[in-house]
Amino acid sequence: MQGSSFRRSSVAGLPAGSGSALPALLLVGLFFIVPVVALLLRSVTDPEPGLQNYAALFGSDTYVRVFLNTFLVATVVTAVTILVAFPVAWMLAIMPPAPGSIVFGIIILSMWTNLLTRTYAWMVLLQRTGVINRALMGLGIIHEPLPLINNLAGVTIGMVYIMLPFMILPLVGTLRAIDPMTLRAAALCGASPFEAFRRILLPLSLPGIAAGGLMVFVMSLGYFVTPALLGGTSNMMLAEMIAQTVQSLLNWGLGSAAAFVLLVVTMALYAIQLHLVGARRAGGGL
Amino acid sequence: MLLDYDRLGWLRVALVGFTAAVAAFLLLPVVFIVLLSFGSSRWLAFPPPGWTLKWYQQLLADPTWIDAALTSARIAAMAAILAVVIGLFASFSLVRGEFRGRQVLRGLLLMPMVLPVVVFAIAIYAFFLRIGLAGTTVGFVIAHTILALPFAIIPITAALEGFDKSIEDAAIVCGASPLQARLRITLPSIRIGIFSAAIFSFLASWDEVVVAIFMASPTLQTLPVKIWGSLRADLSPVVAAASSLLVGLTLCLMIVTALLRRKMSR
Repeated sequence: MQGSSFRRSSVAGLPAGSGSALPALLLVGLFFIVPVVALLLRSVTDPEPGLQNYAALFGSDTYVRVFLNTFLVATVVTAVTILVAFPVAWMLAIMPPAPGSIVFGIIILSMWTNLLTRTYAWMVLLQRTGVINRALMGLGIIHEPLPLINNLAGVTIGMVYIMLPFMILPLVGTLRAIDPMTLRAAALCGASPFEAFRRILLPLSLPGIAAGGLMVFVMSLGYFVTPALLGGTSNMMLAEMIAQTVQSLLNWGLGSAAAFVLLVVTMALYAIQLHLVGARRAGGGL
Repeated sequence: MLLDYDRLGWLRVALVGFTAAVAAFLLLPVVFIVLLSFGSSRWLAFPPPGWTLKWYQQLLADPTWIDAALTSARIAAMAAILAVVIGLFASFSLVRGEFRGRQVLRGLLLMPMVLPVVVFAIAIYAFFLRIGLAGTTVGFVIAHTILALPFAIIPITAALEGFDKSIEDAAIVCGASPLQARLRITLPSIRIGIFSAAIFSFLASWDEVVVAIFMASPTLQTLPVKIWGSLRADLSPVVAAASSLLVGLTLCLMIVTALLRRKMSR
């Protein structure tokens, strides 16, 4: 803390009260902004100046397929997460505190458990001879093991599992803020439960759904660990491709160009989310 | 009546059932991994043919696992301390500063949380290669402090916004120096925020995989890098034992957090 009051700016020439943000600004400027900008410059200078990296990126079927697959996975994951999270958030918003706190505890436990641990558990659960296939076959529902890993199904299950807390927790806040009287009024006016849901509850919770959904979508777009472990080679996602291009192929120019595309899409969607929820509440589940 | 728990009727049965199923889904992998770590099957058969502690013995007898855990703890502790201290200073400015561009500054400092980690990972890796920090503890700590900073700033600014500044001013009127007022009035009042910031920043570094994969060297590996390597090689049950210990740690952290919050908010 600056020793003096904030109104008297103690560091010469700085706007009032900004001085104590200097260490953070220096750290983020030097070790975040500079490296990221340098990386983006590399996409137009490595191996030689020009746009050849972007031409290679958008001209190749392989890379275009990676882009499309990334959007497909993020869309499916977001849709499933919203559908699963909404009823849970709804219940948590109105449940008595005792059973509610058990569910909250489980959500926090799953969210705080090491990411690799959770993904490892799904790798074992979903494998060909895993518990899920064995249980389904034991129940006579299927006769052949289902391919649940190294494909879209595996990525979706693993990602929805990780994203659910990020959708449920903010949605509970949105739903709690809705006045129950509006729904009582709807019922008094003769609205059926379905009608009340469609015309009142859903529209009133839409801002929360949109904000949470956008956050899940953005997080899914750039996710690395879970798709790399639960997905297959035929449906690789962008983050894994970037890492591989740089780490195994040592093609920094192409990797940087792909990183730039990911950055632009993410930041554009982040700006929309900020607009939806206001800068104050950005960052969601904390 | 959709928001009256007692008047939902048949819908309540369906929704409670669904919520219970989702809770079970969220709990399943965590419980499963703990059970698996005590199973005797090398091939992770479940239910296991017998129960054993041998995976834990193998884990604890392997110095590379112990080293990785200690490295992770060291880096996470340093990153958390730095993130909380720097984040605390920044939060005062973000909440109380009177200058244009405050929201822009906030957006900038929170950006490391939004940008896909893989982009930051290759950017900082390239940068550290050039200045000779790749594969060093210092490099690790710097990169993880950047990633942890938003997790420190969010709870601290939230706590600071909820604190009535006139109490601090009253202390100054009564003769305390501004620094004394901050240290003895303001900091104790926002301690829950600072405490949450410490936990979240520690976890942000402790669990971080992507930057760590790039930053690690054969002699400097964090626990997630070690687990990542094992997962790519085979699904050895030793990983299940390591994972179960991590689940235990998470549970301890949750219990400590709940107890401290209860005690502090009294």
